[in-house]
Amino acid sequence: MKYEGKILLVDDEGHVRKFIGLILKQLGATTLFEAGNGRDAVEVFKRESPNLVLLDVNMPIQDGIQTLREIRQISDDCVIVMLTSLANRQTVEEALSLGADNYIRKDTPKDEILASLRQTIAECFTVD
Amino acid sequence: MPTNIEITLATIMQSPVSTLETSQGAPPAPRPAVVEQRSLVKLKGRKVLIIDDDRINIRILASILQNEGFVISEGNSGERALELYEEIKPDLVLLDVVLPGIDGFATCREIRARHGDNAAPVIFITAKTESDDIVEGLAAGGVDYLPKPFRRKESLARIRTHLQNKILNEQQKALVDQLKAANQAKNKLLGMAAHDLRNPLASIRGLAEFLCDGTVGQLTPDQHDLANTIFETSQSMLALLNELLDVATIEAGELKVHKEPQNLSDLVTKAVYLNNINAARKNTKIIFSPPEEAPIVRLDQAKIRQVMDNLLSNAVKYSPPNSTVNVRISGYHPAFKVAVQDQGPGIPENERHQLFKDFMTLSSKPTGGEKATGLGLAICRKIVEAHRGAITATNLPHGGCEFSIMLPA
Repeated sequence: MKYEGKILLVDDEGHVRKFIGLILKQLGATTLFEAGNGRDAVEVFKRESPNLVLLDVNMPIQDGIQTLREIRQISDDCVIVMLTSLANRQTVEEALSLGADNYIRKDTPKDEILASLRQTIAECFTVD
Repeated sequence: MPTNIEITLATIMQSPVSTLETSQGAPPAPRPAVVEQRSLVKLKGRKVLIIDDDRINIRILASILQNEGFVISEGNSGERALELYEEIKPDLVLLDVVLPGIDGFATCREIRARHGDNAAPVIFITAKTESDDIVEGLAAGGVDYLPKPFRRKESLARIRTHLQNKILNEQQKALVDQLKAANQAKNKLLGMAAHDLRNPLASIRGLAEFLCDGTVGQLTPDQHDLANTIFETSQSMLALLNELLDVATIEAGELKVHKEPQNLSDLVTKAVYLNNINAARKNTKIIFSPPEEAPIVRLDQAKIRQVMDNLLSNAVKYSPPNSTVNVRISGYHPAFKVAVQDQGPGIPENERHQLFKDFMTLSSKPTGGEKATGLGLAICRKIVEAHRGAITATNLPHGGCEFSIMLPA
């Protein structure tokens, strides 16, 4: 399976980008962009118009919630999945109400993240 | 008042040491003929308020107290007593019963009403020693009474005792406050540490798993073994951190349950399905036949799921390989019971009382080398109690034990 769409992965922690990046590769992602904070993320988003954004919540410079707002002002179509470190009900609810499509806890076992992302991609995009 | 506490603790800590030295050292030091009882608290400088409309009484009491180093204030009516109380904040009040204006009992009640448990102890001065009077004084919030005419030593002893009690109470309260603050700080630190360690650990676990499953290239058996050790170790550390975080959350009073009507049977079925995957490694089976009628219970799905996961994984953990774990749901309105029966060694009778406490691991050990943090059941208890339910453990007559949770519908 190959996923030709563009993916933007936003997290301030390199190890998370590495880990989630490997999962995305396993899902067949071919075009992956990365950003380490919300402001950079918005810039990359404007330049590359990715189809899927994985967005961390707690980040320096600009957090994920504000970034989500800005991205949603630019595009309604792209799929946004929040990366959370705890199932913080309030944050998740806020993100979903601001137009996030789903959320993933970063401490979830690999196979569960894989299954969840596969489902998100299958639901939102045509995959060959 | 931290300084007082330090003095008290220092005094307590020092006394046994000096006893030890004199008993083991060469000749014992000569003792004074009359040993003045050494007080744990410093009474000198304490403020005593004397209220009596008879000047002579005040003068006698003042003379009894003069050598003690107390700071004495005086007044001649209940109204004046209340004014002076606010002004000087005494450590102890000697209060005449019969006064012009409001009497001593009413004055005492007023002080208690204004200051509650923080009020200074009030000792009544009374000519009458009828028990009715004494009872009324104690009922008004007084701690004791001094009969007139005053007997010097007795009066002094009573006053000292009540002052000491008051000061020790204050110190105890200050210590409890300090401990509360320290405990809060501990929980905050624990929460922060657990929180900040989790993400990197989750990545380590995930990356090790990638190494293991060959996604990034084949490993030699030795390399695979190492990567697998990293995976398993980070996995159990993550579980421990999650439990620590739960404890910190619960202790900080932040455990919130969001109850919604749920099918308890479905929840248990899912938990049993996933736990059976782990159980299969020990060739153990978890068996659950759902009741015919769906038990609908108002519960926090994620939290009760956590409890079920814990009870099921414990049952597997402590049962020998090739065991069967039975799960049953019983009961109807107003409460449902989920029981998990294992074939383990049961719970030693003398350890039962500590089963649901923090960090309590029992003498029984997991049968497959699994880890136990001693936090799981404590967390379960707190979650179940937050649902106004109960969790119990009983040994079964034919071996093994049964853990069950009761949940109000």
